[in-house]
Amino acid sequence: MRDRRSVHPMAWIVWATSAGFVAFVTTDPVYLFLLWAVSWFVYASHRVDADHARSFRLFLTGATIAVALRTGLVFFGTVSAANTTFSFLEGLRLGTILVIFGTFNAVTDPFGLVRMAPRHLHEPALAAALALSIAPRTVAGVGRVREAQRMRGIRVHGARALPALAVPVLERGMEEAHTLAESMDARGHGAGRRSRYRPQPWTVAAILIAATAIVAAATFLAASAGGWAVLHPQTSPITWPEADPLLLAAIGLLAAPGFVGRTRP
Amino acid sequence: MGDDVRTLAATALPRPVAAALVLVAALIPVTMPAVTGTAPACAAATGPHAALVIDTGTGAHSFCIALDAASVSGIHLIELAGAQDHLAYGFGSGGQAVCRLAGVGPQGDDCFADYPDYWGYWHGDGQGGWTWSSSGAASTRVGDGALDAWVWGSGDSGATHPKPPALGMDDVCVPGTVTPAASPPGSRSTSPPPAPSSGVRSSASPSSAGTSRPSSARSATRSSTAPVSVAPPERGSPTVAAFAATQGPPGGGGPGPGLLVALVLGTALAGGGWLRLRSARRRRSIG
Repeated sequence: MRDRRSVHPMAWIVWATSAGFVAFVTTDPVYLFLLWAVSWFVYASHRVDADHARSFRLFLTGATIAVALRTGLVFFGTVSAANTTFSFLEGLRLGTILVIFGTFNAVTDPFGLVRMAPRHLHEPALAAALALSIAPRTVAGVGRVREAQRMRGIRVHGARALPALAVPVLERGMEEAHTLAESMDARGHGAGRRSRYRPQPWTVAAILIAATAIVAAATFLAASAGGWAVLHPQTSPITWPEADPLLLAAIGLLAAPGFVGRTRP
Repeated sequence: MGDDVRTLAATALPRPVAAALVLVAALIPVTMPAVTGTAPACAAATGPHAALVIDTGTGAHSFCIALDAASVSGIHLIELAGAQDHLAYGFGSGGQAVCRLAGVGPQGDDCFADYPDYWGYWHGDGQGGWTWSSSGAASTRVGDGALDAWVWGSGDSGATHPKPPALGMDDVCVPGTVTPAASPPGSRSTSPPPAPSSGVRSSASPSSAGTSRPSSARSATRSSTAPVSVAPPERGSPTVAAFAATQGPPGGGGPGPGLLVALVLGTALAGGGWLRLRSARRRRSIG
């Protein structure tokens, strides 16, 4: 069970949605790379436990692969500095959204989210929470199985390690899902009743996190709609990307979770 | 041409700009091998030629462009005009759309950022008549003797968008004459920026050179070099003349101060995150 003082999951939803929106409306590498730095900082300040740390690394790797793949697609057509840059920036935007999602995954407890869902949305929310938690749980499972194998002196590498790894991981996943379903049943989930045991409070920190994130997203929305800042730098011919001071400040606001609501271990 | 840029970059420009220039100069032979070979504009009237007319709303300019293939795309025609006559341009949507010509138009990758004003695309019949292009410049083929025109203005179709001036092929590419080089090629990045003068007037009315739209004035200031050099009016038509807006370095004036702030902010966040992870790890190993 997480600490009572921890940040309300809804604040994290607002943060991740806002940061994702910011990444969505721009292809300026300055803002996108800053979002990577912000995500990393927030993750380092708020990560839940070591298992989630592994899943963050998974998303970081996935994001890097996404950038490389999107850029690599250029080589199937006419290659020029302009369209390579354009593709790289498009890939970077996708990668940034993945990193933000990875951060969200690493700082929240997916099952904390289920408790907030309205009653008639409870079951979809439960399915969503299960889906969200699959990546970290699988990564954690792989880690445990490997550790167990190492302790028994089993050293298999490469493709041959796969069946030896996959079977226990899948088995473990089934077992965990079963245990989860039983425990949720025991707590009255699915019976139309909702547990009100220790409801998560909205702390000042959570309100601050949500509010700063909304301000950041609104600033980018205004820039996107008003057109007073270049959000998509010109790539043909290549120009230096711009960094609007107001938009830099807005991204700085997204780093606010790094300063509030930290739980001291 | 590549060597030119490289030496200029080494002597006259701050290091990041120079690095960017050298990088771009190194890429040019890879990406556009044909462009480097055709430096003097229309020097030989024997090869395939096409006419390009740019109407910024405050003045029209025309170029006679030597093609580097039997037919090129409308986008590449503008690139050729940039290489041959120093036309300043900016493309959007990954190089598929025309955003900015002769300093007029939006700065970024979104070519409709200044909507309802945008660059309308026209094809000429060679006798002074124009038809609205039904396809984009990236997918249009421009062959020998073709006329392309770009007009800045509002209006969603050929019926409402302002038309280019009535120009025929002979008005732009005077038969049998050699077009003078618009400006010495070395002048592009050596001279310091003078007072922001918009480099987008035709030589027909040089007295009103400073009265163009604010957007073009802004872009002229932003690109670090903007000396106006207008070719001597040796052409047949008085409304049309060779036009040369000296194009700034490909960096568009180099990185702004915001980039430095962003770098500091990013480094601080990344370093801060790393410190926090390290201290958390240390606490765990002690406990």
